[in-house]
Amino acid sequence: MIKTMRIGALVALAAACATTIAACGSGGTSSSSVNANGIQSPKTEPQTGGKRGRTLIVLNHEDFENIDPGIAYFSIDYEAVYATQRPLFSYRPNTFAEASPDLASGPAEISSDGKTITVHIRHGVHFSPPVNREVTSADVAYAIERGANPNVANPYFESYFSSLEGFSKAKGGPFPGITTPDKYTIIFHLAKPNAQIVLDALVLPLSAPVPEEYAKKYDAKKPTEYGNYQVATGPYMFKADSEGKVLGVGYQPGKSATLVRNPNWNSATDFRPAYLDGIDIQIGGDKNVIGRQVLEGSDMVQNDPPAKTIVQLAYEKFRSQLEISPGAGTHYIAVNNKQGPFANINLRKAFWAALDRVAMNKASGGSLVADVETHFLYPEIPGFEDAGGLAGPKVDYNEHPEGDMAVAGKYMRLAGYPSGKYTGSKTLQVVGSTAHAEEAEIANSTLRSLGFNTKLSLVDQSVMYAKYCGVPAEEIDVCPNVGWVADFADGQAVLDVAFNGKNIIPSGNNNWGQVNDPTINAAMDKAELLIGKEAREKAWAAIDEELVADAAAVPYAFIKEPVIESKDVAGVGDLWNAGAWDYSFTSLK
Amino acid sequence: MTRYIIRRLLWGALLLPLVSALTFVLFRILPTGDPARLRAGRSASPKVIAELRVDLGLNKPLIDQFWLYMKGIFLHFNLGYSYYSTAPVRGLIADRLPATISLTLGAAVIWLLSGLAVGIISAVWRRSKLDRAAMGTALVLISAPEYWLGLIALYLFAADIGQLKVFPGAGSYVGLTSDPWKWLTSLILPWLVLAATNAAIYARLIRGNLIETMGEDYIRTARAKGLTERRVILRHGLRSAINPVMTILGLDIGILLGGAVLVETVFEIPGIGRLNYDAITHSDFPIVQGTVLVAALFIIVANIVVDIAYAYLDPRVRFR
Repeated sequence: MIKTMRIGALVALAAACATTIAACGSGGTSSSSVNANGIQSPKTEPQTGGKRGRTLIVLNHEDFENIDPGIAYFSIDYEAVYATQRPLFSYRPNTFAEASPDLASGPAEISSDGKTITVHIRHGVHFSPPVNREVTSADVAYAIERGANPNVANPYFESYFSSLEGFSKAKGGPFPGITTPDKYTIIFHLAKPNAQIVLDALVLPLSAPVPEEYAKKYDAKKPTEYGNYQVATGPYMFKADSEGKVLGVGYQPGKSATLVRNPNWNSATDFRPAYLDGIDIQIGGDKNVIGRQVLEGSDMVQNDPPAKTIVQLAYEKFRSQLEISPGAGTHYIAVNNKQGPFANINLRKAFWAALDRVAMNKASGGSLVADVETHFLYPEIPGFEDAGGLAGPKVDYNEHPEGDMAVAGKYMRLAGYPSGKYTGSKTLQVVGSTAHAEEAEIANSTLRSLGFNTKLSLVDQSVMYAKYCGVPAEEIDVCPNVGWVADFADGQAVLDVAFNGKNIIPSGNNNWGQVNDPTINAAMDKAELLIGKEAREKAWAAIDEELVADAAAVPYAFIKEPVIESKDVAGVGDLWNAGAWDYSFTSLK
Repeated sequence: MTRYIIRRLLWGALLLPLVSALTFVLFRILPTGDPARLRAGRSASPKVIAELRVDLGLNKPLIDQFWLYMKGIFLHFNLGYSYYSTAPVRGLIADRLPATISLTLGAAVIWLLSGLAVGIISAVWRRSKLDRAAMGTALVLISAPEYWLGLIALYLFAADIGQLKVFPGAGSYVGLTSDPWKWLTSLILPWLVLAATNAAIYARLIRGNLIETMGEDYIRTARAKGLTERRVILRHGLRSAINPVMTILGLDIGILLGGAVLVETVFEIPGIGRLNYDAITHSDFPIVQGTVLVAALFIIVANIVVDIAYAYLDPRVRFR
């Protein structure tokens, strides 16, 4: 029911809507956007009072993955998609807790049985050229329905919308789970009472309207070409020719993208200020070069994580141009709970106790970009504080971030190894990512210090997931470089896919440790059906504590993501998207 | 001569399918990301992935996939769609080719001319201070990694982040047709960086060859006939000394037309090399396949041109 994770430099994103999807988020107007240490935070950057006009230049190393709102699922994609599209709900930049009605005209209504969600949409929102007409609820229905079209293959449609009635027969056209009684109302009918998670998912770009009469011919192609001809509802649109063609006009893969003002956007219907005249995105430069260009130049931002050396340079010489966003995800070590030595809970605890998590984080950039992870719900996710906050639960194997071999020895003995060292014959299969080789080496040497024989293989990150850690049949014992970013701020979005036994699948498995504790599974299934922020917070925090007690995995980094801007940019980062600069709120001084 | 050229062309035509087949086999043998999964997104359900596998033809036996792949390329010139961006590969390559051609040909002119000049001067005044300085510099340039050289060039001379703001920096490249002056100035630094290593190699090669050639009997004869030293060197010595250089020039140009990854990346030039690099990191097979084919085509064509030129320059070759 959640999305996948991604480790590595670029963090994916998330989105979501909270329980009472009400107006929220407010336009924080802090007098200063920098913290005490001189670094910016998306929590305090002013969202109002920006100067209008001029063009922002974005220098990105990475390309978009996909700009079709029905497919986009990546941090960099999201910044362009949320500037050009309006889902039913979305986050304001400074919050990852409360979603605001976006295309929706107000909060959603959930029926008392938790099986029906009703959303009313705004009047007067229009598609960009060449469609030009007013958006209706049928456009939202089609946008979500096309998620089931194999040519679109939305990556999270099944995860979040499978409880819609008739889901199993959905192929891209109408199905009973979505109805539109009038032009401005859409109703979701659910087969089970999990309205909260479906409602949360309406903050994802899949709910941004798509005009069926225009998109259908593109959606008939394998794969869909709608993204290359898309129309916008947000303040900006990809530059397009008169036919609406974006590919080669406003987007040249691997090269550049151009966002221009959407002539049909009506500011009266939107909370985005949209200060900029346009956004010119250049793709593919060397990180060391574009980092310097941004720091020393003007009108520029980098919207993917800068090189380590650039973060250091920014911290030392351009501190006010550096933004660090908390709550950008989590990194942990998956250990095989199902078979091999780590099926033994005490060996898992011993590994946790012995691991020097401070050293692990130093390898990835130190305390500037990571806090020592002490449990699995991470900062900005509701329930984080209830589950122990930064300090985490008070268990002895968690209390020494630098690692404690005495505590590790205690658990080794409890596991049946009186010498404090593993004496079994098993050679552990350890598969890490080349992008995080140093962390993998530290984890590997920790295992060896506990007496394990190991065989460490370092492969490309995509290979690590696709061929090894995500395939239970490979029987990998330890995956030291896995990570997770939630789609929206809800404990379920962090814990369910990664730790619920029902989600173990033969390939593409995201429960890498094959954690399958019946008690925890049952608690998760129960918590999924809860409605209301407070109840969910408490339930998922309790599940987090159980996972720590079970040492289901070995956590090591609460990720904080850096981004940089030029000195004349009044950047506003999205807390909900790892701090990435929001084009609809950022302005030039 | 005609038979010789036809023979070379036929070999070239045979090599292309072989290269395609090799790319196909390598991509499937080596551990890479699953294309269906890549296309589906990171948390797609097994059902969606299975459907995509059918759509992409990945459920078919390997031999059928291979046949479809070869048929697509050689009968329909269809290179398919990017798994990543869904853009047509043929269009992507056509879009990137002008930048790579601009970069390579400009750099080739620089390295050939400077390599020739320095090589001749060093050979004529060998063991002089000039020769030692030139060969010392050549050694440094050969040893310097291209990526590092690019960064240094930018930190020293780029208009945005350089200490001496002389040339346009990274990301300034524009197409020749959109603004010729900007095109020219934006390529000066990349040309110099790309040419540096090759110029140094060529200079050393020409120096060595020319020194050897100048000791030949026919050179002594030419001098005895009363020809000027300049004529002896340029008409008699250099013509023979340049033959091996012609061979590597063809190969170098062919290879670089297949993509100068590091220089394209450092200077943010959207060329074939960067397209290929990105495709490899994304396991985007259709693009890898397309760019490898283009690179192979250039290398084959360059080889044929070199062989023909070689045959023209050295009659012994065409009769082998």
